[in-house]
Amino acid sequence: MLWAYIYCYQLTLDSHIKAARNKRAHSQLPKHETNNQYSSLASNTPVAVYCSKTNKITQCNDIAKKEGIEIGHGLAQAAALCPYVHILPFSEEAEKHMLTQLAHRLYPLASDIVLDNHIQSDSVNGLAVRLDNLTHYYGGHTPLWKTLTQALAEADIRYHFASAWTIEAAKVLALHKFNTYLHTPDDIKKALSSCPLSITALSPKVIDSLARVGVSCVQQLLAMPVQELGQRFDNNTIMYLTALRGETFPRVTLFRPLEHFDNFTLLPFDIENTQHLTPFVTQQFEHLSHYLRARNLYTSSINVRIHFREAPIMDINIRSALPQSSVQSWLPLFNLKTENLELPEPATAIALTCQQFEEMDTQNGDFFSDRFNDIAQKQLIGRLNAKLGDNSTFQPLAADSHQFEYMTVTESSAGDGTGNYAYSSDITPTFTFDVPKPLIQATQICFGPVRLHSEWWHDSPTKRDYFIAQTEQCVRLLVFKDEESRWWVQGLFC
Amino acid sequence: MNKSLSVLNNHPHIWRARDQKQSEAKFSLGFPRLDKALNGGVASTGLVRISSLTGVGELSLFKRVICQHRTHKLVVFINPPGLLQSPWLENLGLKAQQVLVVKTRSEQESLWAAEQCLKSTACHCVVLWSNAVNQKEARRLQVAATHNDALCLLYTPPQQQALQLSSQKADLGSDSQANLSNQSDSALPITLDIALKGNPHVLAVNIRKQRHGWPKDNIVISHRWTPDNQAIKWAMSHNTLSDQALHSVS
Repeated sequence: MLWAYIYCYQLTLDSHIKAARNKRAHSQLPKHETNNQYSSLASNTPVAVYCSKTNKITQCNDIAKKEGIEIGHGLAQAAALCPYVHILPFSEEAEKHMLTQLAHRLYPLASDIVLDNHIQSDSVNGLAVRLDNLTHYYGGHTPLWKTLTQALAEADIRYHFASAWTIEAAKVLALHKFNTYLHTPDDIKKALSSCPLSITALSPKVIDSLARVGVSCVQQLLAMPVQELGQRFDNNTIMYLTALRGETFPRVTLFRPLEHFDNFTLLPFDIENTQHLTPFVTQQFEHLSHYLRARNLYTSSINVRIHFREAPIMDINIRSALPQSSVQSWLPLFNLKTENLELPEPATAIALTCQQFEEMDTQNGDFFSDRFNDIAQKQLIGRLNAKLGDNSTFQPLAADSHQFEYMTVTESSAGDGTGNYAYSSDITPTFTFDVPKPLIQATQICFGPVRLHSEWWHDSPTKRDYFIAQTEQCVRLLVFKDEESRWWVQGLFC
Repeated sequence: MNKSLSVLNNHPHIWRARDQKQSEAKFSLGFPRLDKALNGGVASTGLVRISSLTGVGELSLFKRVICQHRTHKLVVFINPPGLLQSPWLENLGLKAQQVLVVKTRSEQESLWAAEQCLKSTACHCVVLWSNAVNQKEARRLQVAATHNDALCLLYTPPQQQALQLSSQKADLGSDSQANLSNQSDSALPITLDIALKGNPHVLAVNIRKQRHGWPKDNIVISHRWTPDNQAIKWAMSHNTLSDQALHSVS
């Protein structure tokens, strides 16, 4: 057997960052003045997640770390180190929800998923995914793992991962932040032997008694014969140890997706106005439409529940005369329904549930031409990246620049502001060259000039007059004249 | 004998030129003359080869085909001749999420990627730039495209056509080598094979081969794909008012 363990160490923080970013993307509308306050929240404020049960900081972002806050600090210490730190409450229930959502996301790609979530004070949240039975379908380890990591990247969470013969062993490696995909027993054994005992799930008492006989790392434990261990420790410990060595495979409860749709989102801040709920509800409707499309279903009734701190949960039932699935059809209904609604107090969380589904009409002819293909897309990108290299595929995205060189970026991670202010320009060429080439052909100008200065904060300021020129063969080029009156070709109009 | 011929006639793979009616779906290009020559437009599935120089409006010509159908699926650009610009895509009518660019290092990789994309069922249209495909590769792409309800646009440089014409002339000289390459090139098992040639202000389309139809040369369409200074020129030539005003200054 081969299992991968995905250790999600900052789920609450991740969902907060994602929600805040999402909010910012929607906050371009001028009427939402208050949003600016929130939009800056994720990017440059120290944020820490605090567990009140243990009085410990459990998660914190990079800026908080820079301020000196570490995981394990108390609230007072954190506040003393950085008085303006933004504290988020830690909630096991919420983390479990997020983990379940992640499992729902992965379920179409991998069938055997185990949720590893224990309601304990310092619980470890993670997912275990069985891989050995999937390699056959994906055609090898690399495409499979690329597909999974792609889905994880889309979920936008930080995680450590590892793979090993059992969940227990993979978990130890993941907690050790191993972050490498292994599939041969020798490699796994080598990797395991370097792990300290403290990160295994053995109880402190057992670790203590092992330390007394001089066993302090997993390597020594793996080398010991089972009989010798059997005399010293109880049954549970032995079971764990044999699982760690890959000799037994303990029974696990596999994750099964719900029969109905249930999506719970913890809001990153309290919302007083129903209009401000829209971006979060839109996100949930998107999830719903993906869910329905993948199962070839429609629905005619959904429930939106708004949670508050004190007041009872508000239940909004929305019905539609025609069964439908898309965001565009459900969002206007939600907006109409909540237009005149007054929230009794600021909302803290929203949940979207859907219990009743309706089969899609099979008489409908466009079923095959309009089939949902999100998974096919992911598999395709995973396969292409596996063969051609990680940087071989990209989606061209609009960037914040009016210059042709910087108008398009190829990676979404290039900047958070990407895509917010897309410049639309009707003289953009189809293709640009990496570097402008000198113009050496006879051409005739058919459009221009358009003068573009570079931004003042760029090191080498340029002033260019752009033209569209046509060669004798009717090839249209984007040409420019620089300050020294030299002519260059920068792009093509196809 | 008559009977045996009629049996042959019933074979579904035999097409007679007098059958103009087709059941296959066609995507209109939006140019009436060209659509008429193509019996309604470009077939919705299969491999289409376009031989042209890069930059004569060869992508904009297929604007309707690329943007207006199966919009929930991907449009993949494989091995494009430069960095694809997102504002241009937006002007064309494509959303960024709908577009995927694949960079490859060799011709073989491009063809492999194209086939994978066509087979994935996630793609509506695969736009591929390649220097040459042989008969076998073309057949593979054609089958992958037709079986998965997708369209593959293959852009090749125009040298092939020139080479073919010259070899046709050399045909009389019975150069068997050239004859063979000519055979394999013109006999690609694809849906549509066209060549584009830009003339000032117009675009000439040569249909070299089409399934269920006749080749047709020199279909001239007026095609605008870049902004031009027409508006300014027109305004200048029709502006009699400001001329007077200018004169009155002195």
